[in-house]
Amino acid sequence: MSAQIIDGKAFAATVRQKVAAKVSELKTAHGITPGLAVVLVGTDPASQVYVRSKGKQTVEVGMNSFEHKLDADTSEDVLLDLIDSLNADPTVHGILVQLPLPGHLDETLVINRIAPEKDVDGFHIANVGLLGTGQKSMVPCTPLGCLLMLRDYHGSLSGKNAVVIGRSNIVGKPMAQLLLNDSCTVTIAHSRTADLPDVVRRADIVVAAVGRPEMVPGDWIKPGATVIDVGINRIDIEDGKTKLVGDVAYESCAAVAGAITPVPGGVGPMTIACLLANTVTACCRINNLTDGEDFLS
Amino acid sequence: MTKQTADHRHLLGAPIRDRILDEVRTYVDAAGQMGKIVSIAIDGTAEVEVYIRNQARIAAKVGLDFDQQIWPRDITQDACKSRIQQMNDDPSVLGIIIQRPLPSHINIRSLQSAVHPLKDIEGMNPASIGNIVYSDIALVPCTAAASVEMIKATGLTLAGLEVVMIGHSEIVGRPASMMLMAEGATVTICHHMTRSVAMHSRRADVVLVAVGSPHFIGPDMIKPGAAVIDIGINQITTDDGTSRIVGDVDTAAVTEVAGWITPVPGGVGPVTVAVLMRNAVIAHQRQRQSGWRT
Repeated sequence: MSAQIIDGKAFAATVRQKVAAKVSELKTAHGITPGLAVVLVGTDPASQVYVRSKGKQTVEVGMNSFEHKLDADTSEDVLLDLIDSLNADPTVHGILVQLPLPGHLDETLVINRIAPEKDVDGFHIANVGLLGTGQKSMVPCTPLGCLLMLRDYHGSLSGKNAVVIGRSNIVGKPMAQLLLNDSCTVTIAHSRTADLPDVVRRADIVVAAVGRPEMVPGDWIKPGATVIDVGINRIDIEDGKTKLVGDVAYESCAAVAGAITPVPGGVGPMTIACLLANTVTACCRINNLTDGEDFLS
Repeated sequence: MTKQTADHRHLLGAPIRDRILDEVRTYVDAAGQMGKIVSIAIDGTAEVEVYIRNQARIAAKVGLDFDQQIWPRDITQDACKSRIQQMNDDPSVLGIIIQRPLPSHINIRSLQSAVHPLKDIEGMNPASIGNIVYSDIALVPCTAAASVEMIKATGLTLAGLEVVMIGHSEIVGRPASMMLMAEGATVTICHHMTRSVAMHSRRADVVLVAVGSPHFIGPDMIKPGAAVIDIGINQITTDDGTSRIVGDVDTAAVTEVAGWITPVPGGVGPVTVAVLMRNAVIAHQRQRQSGWRT
């Protein structure tokens, strides 16, 4: 094994430290405490775990956490009213509606009700368009985490050939936009791509986000390339046991790559750290503190 | 056969424009009163006037009202914004075009954001672009959409096709890439920081170029049989001192390699205005769906 392992857990801890330092500066210099509101509808067990974890980390960095737990049969009107009140609440700088929502609720309608400047998930259609045209926007957390890790490892990404596998709205598409904004030459590959191995072999940077366990083998990787594995798949191993694997075959890719993120412990821990960072960014912008936005660099 | 079709490899815009305009005219005839397109120019230059006159002429041809407004040079950003907001609320306004360039004291992006997404027939509001990224192809930037129309006219199946887009501007390269990806193409986006454009373009089944540089694409950069969509418009001065319009592709040389090539002028350009008119129809349909119109 030759690749350098990109330790997402350790890197996420440094991001959280920077967030905490910025939060304390906002409190002392401006008397502002950033606040994140998380809305959970229903009792999906996985969502409950996420929401609890988000709330805990929000408090740990010194921010206010507002949790709103609604019954699974909550009507759309009630949910939209809640979002309206959070939009108007000056102590709330970030609003996150935990997805998926129960089937009777229109996710697009709900997400687009969030004030774009408080949309810390970056899913509001206006933020998507701003990012897609290289303008200042709120950026989805998972691709932002990948970008920060890539910048940390490479320094400048300019001129590198990047291939993003997967064209999902929450990872693949925003990831491609972020890499373009950092002047990579970007190819977006997906299920319809004719010769995926050939496309991936060109890449200096591979971001895999398809949700298929270990689908990228080592012989698709250009020697020395950087591999970012966004996939988190639970697979069965013997005796009824399971384990988590990514979208790339870790052992064979690590033998060829220059650097690689493990699963777990790579991209995963970065996502909530970036949510906290986005909340601070939103707080600075809402309060016209333009000096506050480079706290991560 | 007209004298324009000198080469069967040339993919001409006129027939595609005419087909789209026929569809628009049919819709307008059936819809009755649709409201007007408002064109906003600030202190218009001669160059912009030619462009607007062409839009007005095509609108008249398909039966759409076209209101050419020229606002004074010293108008403030806030005044522009409030005028646009009045148009958003005015049912007699179907769609809004903000003509470029604008004076330097006007922030165009802020005005584009002020146009209501359902009246944004140029497809320049961030929400319109966001919809394209999310594969809801409704109101799209006209040049990007025209380029996609040209590719479709070749008869190639977009799913699985290798497409290289050279140029990543917000009005052409980026939206065109997203539209082609939504159709299933594998898209690579190149730009001024790309190390070797030729390395990418030589693999491509379709090459689109929008960089604003004459003869940027030569025959050695194109795979034999590929489709080449030339979106560039450059004015050059020839040896005899006359000026003429050329694209970003060395058309004569690349024609010998390509399967299809769009000439400049006469390729993508004519389709662009037709797409603008089609956007007006789409805006009307969406305004109806939203209960703004009966």
